[in-house]
Amino acid sequence: MNTSPILLEVFKNRLSSIAEEMGVTLQRTSFSPNIKERRDYSCAVFDARGNLVAQAAHIPVHLGSMPLSVKAALEIPMDEGDMVMLNDPFRGGTHLPDITLVAPVFVDGESPRFYVANRAHHADVGGMSAGSMPLSTSIFQEGIIIPPTKLVEKGKVDNKVLSFILANVRTPQEREGDFSAQIMANTTGIRRLQELAALHRLDKVSFYCTELMAYTERITRETIRAIPNGTYSFRDFMEDDGIEPSPVPIEVTLTIEGDRAILDFTASSAQVRGSINSVYAITLSAVLYTFRCLMEEDVPVNAGLLKPIEVVTLEGSIVEATFPAAVAGGNVETSQRIVDVVLGALASALPDKIPAASQGTMNNLAMGGFHPSTGRPFAYYETLGGGTGAWAKGPGVSSVHSHMTNTLNTPIEALEYTYPLMVTRYSLRKGSGGKGLHPGGEGLIREMEALTEMEVTVLSERRKIPPYGLMGGEPGSTGKNLILRRDGAVMEMPGKFHGRLEPGDRIRIETPGGGGWGKVQEAPP
Amino acid sequence: MKGKGVKERITIGVDTGGTFTDLVFKAGEKWGIYKLLSTPHNPALAVLAGLEEVAGEEIKSIIHGSTVATNALLERRGAKTALITNRGMEDILEIGRQNRPLLYALTWQPSPPLVSEELRVGIKGRVLPEGKVLEEIEEEEVVKVGQELLEKGVESVAVSLLFSFAHPQHELAVGRILEGMGIPVSLSHQILSEFREYERTSTTVINAYVLPIMKNYISHIQSHLGSNDIMRIMQSNGGSISATKAAQEPVRTILSGPAGGAVGGLEVARAAGFEKVITFDMGGTSTDVSLMDGKLAMTTEARVAGFPVKVPMIEIHTVGAGGGSIAYIDRGGSLRVGPRSAGADPGPICYGKGQEITVTDAHLMLGRLVPQHFLGGRMKLARGRLEEPFREMATSTGMSEVELAEGILSVANATMERAIRVISVERGFDPGEFVLVSFGGAGGLHAAFLARALNIPRILVPRDPGTLSALGMLLADIVKDYSVTVMVDTTIPGWQEKTQGALTSLKKQALRDMEDEGVSREEIVLEPALDMRYKGQSFEITVPLTKDPLKEFHRAHKRLYGYSSPERPTEMVNVRLRARGIPPKPQLAPIKEGNSTPPQEAHIDTVRSIFQGVEEEVPVFSREKLLANNLLEGPALVVEYSATLVIPPFARGQVDHLGNIILEVEG
Repeated sequence: MNTSPILLEVFKNRLSSIAEEMGVTLQRTSFSPNIKERRDYSCAVFDARGNLVAQAAHIPVHLGSMPLSVKAALEIPMDEGDMVMLNDPFRGGTHLPDITLVAPVFVDGESPRFYVANRAHHADVGGMSAGSMPLSTSIFQEGIIIPPTKLVEKGKVDNKVLSFILANVRTPQEREGDFSAQIMANTTGIRRLQELAALHRLDKVSFYCTELMAYTERITRETIRAIPNGTYSFRDFMEDDGIEPSPVPIEVTLTIEGDRAILDFTASSAQVRGSINSVYAITLSAVLYTFRCLMEEDVPVNAGLLKPIEVVTLEGSIVEATFPAAVAGGNVETSQRIVDVVLGALASALPDKIPAASQGTMNNLAMGGFHPSTGRPFAYYETLGGGTGAWAKGPGVSSVHSHMTNTLNTPIEALEYTYPLMVTRYSLRKGSGGKGLHPGGEGLIREMEALTEMEVTVLSERRKIPPYGLMGGEPGSTGKNLILRRDGAVMEMPGKFHGRLEPGDRIRIETPGGGGWGKVQEAPP
Repeated sequence: MKGKGVKERITIGVDTGGTFTDLVFKAGEKWGIYKLLSTPHNPALAVLAGLEEVAGEEIKSIIHGSTVATNALLERRGAKTALITNRGMEDILEIGRQNRPLLYALTWQPSPPLVSEELRVGIKGRVLPEGKVLEEIEEEEVVKVGQELLEKGVESVAVSLLFSFAHPQHELAVGRILEGMGIPVSLSHQILSEFREYERTSTTVINAYVLPIMKNYISHIQSHLGSNDIMRIMQSNGGSISATKAAQEPVRTILSGPAGGAVGGLEVARAAGFEKVITFDMGGTSTDVSLMDGKLAMTTEARVAGFPVKVPMIEIHTVGAGGGSIAYIDRGGSLRVGPRSAGADPGPICYGKGQEITVTDAHLMLGRLVPQHFLGGRMKLARGRLEEPFREMATSTGMSEVELAEGILSVANATMERAIRVISVERGFDPGEFVLVSFGGAGGLHAAFLARALNIPRILVPRDPGTLSALGMLLADIVKDYSVTVMVDTTIPGWQEKTQGALTSLKKQALRDMEDEGVSREEIVLEPALDMRYKGQSFEITVPLTKDPLKEFHRAHKRLYGYSSPERPTEMVNVRLRARGIPPKPQLAPIKEGNSTPPQEAHIDTVRSIFQGVEEEVPVFSREKLLANNLLEGPALVVEYSATLVIPPFARGQVDHLGNIILEVEG
């Protein structure tokens, strides 16, 4: 079969829209705030061998990890109507709250011709603290570990498996709803792929799946070729792991050779006790995200993106953690730092294109307790935006999420309807952006009063080491976590902490500003 | 034309577009159309000139779709606007929802907020979710704020306080004080009485921002009308409101032009006997599609100029593919069409100036556009300019020129097909049950191919497709939308009373307003609805408020998302009410009847066109000369002043009694 530029475009449209439609179903019908509001999920289409063909633009942190999930799920033979779930970070997962559901697509009665998969961040999967994003030191403290397991068999949910999982989580009814949403998202994908194969011939659809990967590979190679050949290094730090106070270095050496890129992370720290370890899938995702950002076209994300890029890591390191490392925060915090170092290395190669550091954290805030009006447990989880880095042609943006996340906030009115909390301030953090010819974006301030007693967990970074500036621009301000007691006492808390609030106490998070770009112009004398 | 001696009012729909101002009018039994060039620096000039031409001194009833508010917003020419909100919440407008519009953009800039930092003022006063007051406002503080804003030259003020929909007294008090000082005020609970503070604030700020401009525009036109003339303004929800109301709530008129097109499409299809309609409006740079399952589809998730506008609007899905869309081969070897457009300048290659191949060029290449009949032959199309660029691109990709031209159309069709799939298949509707109503300059060139790809068996191509929007305005109902957030759990007894209570006060308000609009009781239809979700979800589904709204909700959830969970608790989020005033509607006029063979004089030409690589002789018919019942076997072309209809070999057309061409497409 010859490749037609016309059919290539037509299939690109159709396959991407299948992944997007799966996402619409998942978001609109799910119950976890992490899925429905924060859009912490991914949907994708794979070929018969488990190669990623198209993934919708939902959240970048899943870019490299979805294919590994599918490969792990394929260990379990699947018949028509079966679906396999998993969350084990050391077998195709990322961190435990991310549960992936994989389904085969049968077209002609033979073996599966395609697979569809979706991954969603559930609000709680058990473990030592509400929200399952703990300051842990081992995977066993983080929640229930699910190896590849059939959740759906011949179109029916396996209630034994389901009830086993639900017995291990804090909000089982919500989890059940999220599973329904995930099953339905895959069902939508299966149906659309079957329709596509019926409309065109199956061999034609399969052929264009392969062509689509070659297409993305060609554009990736062109993109890398536009970067000057050479070796570029950059080092930055996670400021601590929440257990030990010492900084944790992450270092990359990027080598560009024609149309290939090699990223060597072997000089990075060994894995640590606290929960900021990142499995290889996360590191890969952060790298792929960065290269995808260099492409101006609307390019489908698939296996072709991986081909020209090599990521070298050491087993047992902070960027390739091994069992039984604690990994809850690797996904949300360490992934941001990996992007920071890759961008930092690229900045010396492409000074006009690469921005200074963005806030470099998601400011994870989890609060939980018992609702005073119903006596039922509640768990609130939110991440906060901050400043982005400035670049050669303009300033950074204020109070937004950057890089590996792009989640929505919880509206104040939605929050106060649901939780015993009152928002007392939500504003820009003026003056927090790094100064420069182009200033970094401002962080923000979110202050909330507890209306009942509750526990609070904060997982944040850039409280001690600020987001870097570039070309003489100043770094952004570091963030701050404060507890304002009802009696007026102000307690400055560390970047990662677990604490308690009494009614009338307030928690105040001030997020980091973005780095500035270029020296501030001196006023002429 | 002016129907002297007829005492009846002349009814006129007026649509201001970028290029033309269109008027469709009915005087007595007679319908008419008038088109004149728009006057963008002062759109009222063209509107008044048009009204003078079609109605002179007669008593007029005008329904006007104005782009004044839209353009003021898009071009950032609105009033100097301030925002009064709760202390500590001044930046909500700038923070938005904390997300970025594009995932993989390292560098981007948001549109700056419509209210700059120094004009966003926080005041005392705090209300809790159930409407309980935690802290009262202080009148002296509000007075002081008002004076400061006046000193800064503020022309319009938006007031948006937390939970104002549950306790409007604070906003009302602020409004009274500021109005007393002569400042026009937009209150958030009056514009949009729903929870989610950012979206409500954004909608209210947009209203304040365009209010003074809209007010001036309306009073300018009214000052030239007679004392017995009535003017209504078209809204984005597909209905009209009085000019007075529109001057207070101009945010409801944003996107009224496309709304007119959707209403026009639905009404024309209804008159021809169809209730399920997908409208397809393809222009030079973009294509609008909308699905109507017997009634207009509404959304509250629209964005204009990057800002959320949460008042109900007709759900119109737009994609960047039109006649001027540029075709190119990208770095990966894929044939792309759009979203970049050659626009009017330089325009397609065949218009004489452009250098890049467009969709229009591909049609001409295939002989589906006929130069001597394009815009009545007034515009010369340079077929000769196409050969070199087509040869070049075709050679580089190993295709023939004809394959390339047909390929460009396939890719453009794929983009539009995706748009229609989003509003149909992805919403649980089978497009095969709908009729495709095709209009816009380029609609007729693509409709048959698109219908075949989507298994849509029938297409309706209305007469005068260029003025369908103005016709829609003329035929629109008078519509007012109301809503209020109630947030009640249906597992807790008493939810029915709470919902009914909210509905009763909305009804009272609606009847009062419709009376002000001059609608008599028997012409009013009230349509109550509920926004519902499973408790714990974040997206609501709007269902009609019938005897068993829960059942309606489970059913709708299943249609939209494939499953429902009747055992799960549900939540009533908003109560909605749509009040429609249905005035007696003018009947569309039938055309002259003929038989199945088109009259000799309608067959004006024969050309050579290419379909599926095969060149054949194709008859060209003049639309104006066709008679009811005429049959048109494909392949054939039907030309009129502003549009060409392609009937490919796999389709056949028939003219109906209203002059529509109904195409039947073979699957």
